[in-house]
Amino acid sequence: MNNLNFINPFSVREDPGSSVGDLYTQNFSRHAKTGTVILNLGPQHPSTHGVLRVIVELEGEYVIRAEPVLGYLHRMHEKMAEVKTPWQFIPNMGRVDYLHPVAWNWAQVGACERLAGLEVPERAEYLRVISCELNRIASHLMWWGAFVMDLGGVTPILYAFEEREKINDILQIITGSRLTISYFRFGGVSADIDERFVRLTREFIPYLRERLKMYKALVTDNVILRRRLEDIGPMGVDICQRYGATGPVLRAAGLPRDVRRDIPYGVYPKLDFAIPAGPSDDCFGRYLVRLFEVETSLNIVEQALNELPDGPVKMDKAPKANWKLPAGETYFAVEGARGQIGVHLVSDGGKTPYRLKLRAPSFCNLSLFAEAAKGVLLADAIAILGSLDLVIPEVDR
Amino acid sequence: MFRAIVDNIKGLWSLIVGLSITGRFFFSPVKTVHYPRQVVDPESLASYRGPLELVPADDVGGSKCVSCQMCVRACPGNCLTVIKGKEGKAPETYLYDFTLCCLCAACVESCPTSAIRFSHNVYLTARTREELHMDLLADLKARAAKASQ
Repeated sequence: MNNLNFINPFSVREDPGSSVGDLYTQNFSRHAKTGTVILNLGPQHPSTHGVLRVIVELEGEYVIRAEPVLGYLHRMHEKMAEVKTPWQFIPNMGRVDYLHPVAWNWAQVGACERLAGLEVPERAEYLRVISCELNRIASHLMWWGAFVMDLGGVTPILYAFEEREKINDILQIITGSRLTISYFRFGGVSADIDERFVRLTREFIPYLRERLKMYKALVTDNVILRRRLEDIGPMGVDICQRYGATGPVLRAAGLPRDVRRDIPYGVYPKLDFAIPAGPSDDCFGRYLVRLFEVETSLNIVEQALNELPDGPVKMDKAPKANWKLPAGETYFAVEGARGQIGVHLVSDGGKTPYRLKLRAPSFCNLSLFAEAAKGVLLADAIAILGSLDLVIPEVDR
Repeated sequence: MFRAIVDNIKGLWSLIVGLSITGRFFFSPVKTVHYPRQVVDPESLASYRGPLELVPADDVGGSKCVSCQMCVRACPGNCLTVIKGKEGKAPETYLYDFTLCCLCAACVESCPTSAIRFSHNVYLTARTREELHMDLLADLKARAAKASQ
């Protein structure tokens, strides 16, 4: 009886905090009302995106209380940063967020470069932008497919994967890998692009623009999707700012905050791109913002390819694997697909950093969920969870 | 009332549009590569990072490695073991544990003589863990023998 996920409402209420369920469930059920059902979603559940567990208290079909349980994918990335040299830690960043690894690459490499005062050649900066934006598109496409699958439409994820595979093919030319990419190096990038990369990217941009029209006709205009998303899970600027939500979640609430614009890094100040905000703070607004960001990223890639200067892709005397950081403290933030990725780096001048703090956007976005899911239908809670675009390794780190 | 009727008709139309799109895809050619009947074209594997291999220095399986241990020290996963031979600088043993490797290229980029590189072997399979503990010098000799045949 101890391992029952589903608790009989008639047996548990006389004994609140009974031995049914594990520690989290017991603690959660201590505050449960009479006549409610406590249900565990996850940690293995088709609609929870990785090993996230959410305990919900249900009255009928309505969620009264929800509590995410984290830590199933905790891999001590921050501790590993303290026992590895900065170079050796680069591959870890691809494992933190497997959907947008290039942005995490940039956050860590950028923090080390800022601390050491390294100059990156301009061509490398443009290549960083191109790879980061291509990867952002891949991440948003994956989210798009997975989100629609959460809502019950299984077909679109297969179409999204077709585009995603094309991006993977393009990124594989320069990075050598398709998922856990480690492309950035201190003072540049690991490889230069070739003629095939340029050709495939130039073919891909108009191709995806055409496909986005198909996405709109197939999914965005679909009446079932709209009725599932419109006016569901409104998250205003107030709740976003209280929990520190960033990225598309905050921008859908109407606040055009974007690290690429607000705390510029790389060559983003030289590029012209729009930061979408709004139109609504519900699930459908967050959906639209992400699809618009795909178009924005396509524009950025196109511009960067047109303006790509010649030159080296790595600085002279770039740091090697045994490179030591100078003593000091710094913070570097980049805009990932899910929001602001921050790296706070403290070094005492030793072989390994003294401390590396990773600020993951998914963690803050997830903490909204408990408040936003109060009083909604269980199916709508799943829609809210999906609209946050969570990557669980990033939440747990 | 009138508006609700129009909304419902529009909604039904959106379903028909969606079905026509999925119907079109249903009859379009297959997009996936049906391994093993088909394989990915080699051009797209040119930069793929497969398990490490030693770069041949000559035709008889000699390597460019000088046993300087730079790769061993650079590796984040401690997957390399290089032991220097008794005569000269050439290594006596070059072991590579693919189960620990994260294909980060730290060893490749830190090698002063460019003695190691990534292979492009996407079709590697193993039934046991031990098959992935590779002896790169033996592998290099085997490749040289195969090439000379």
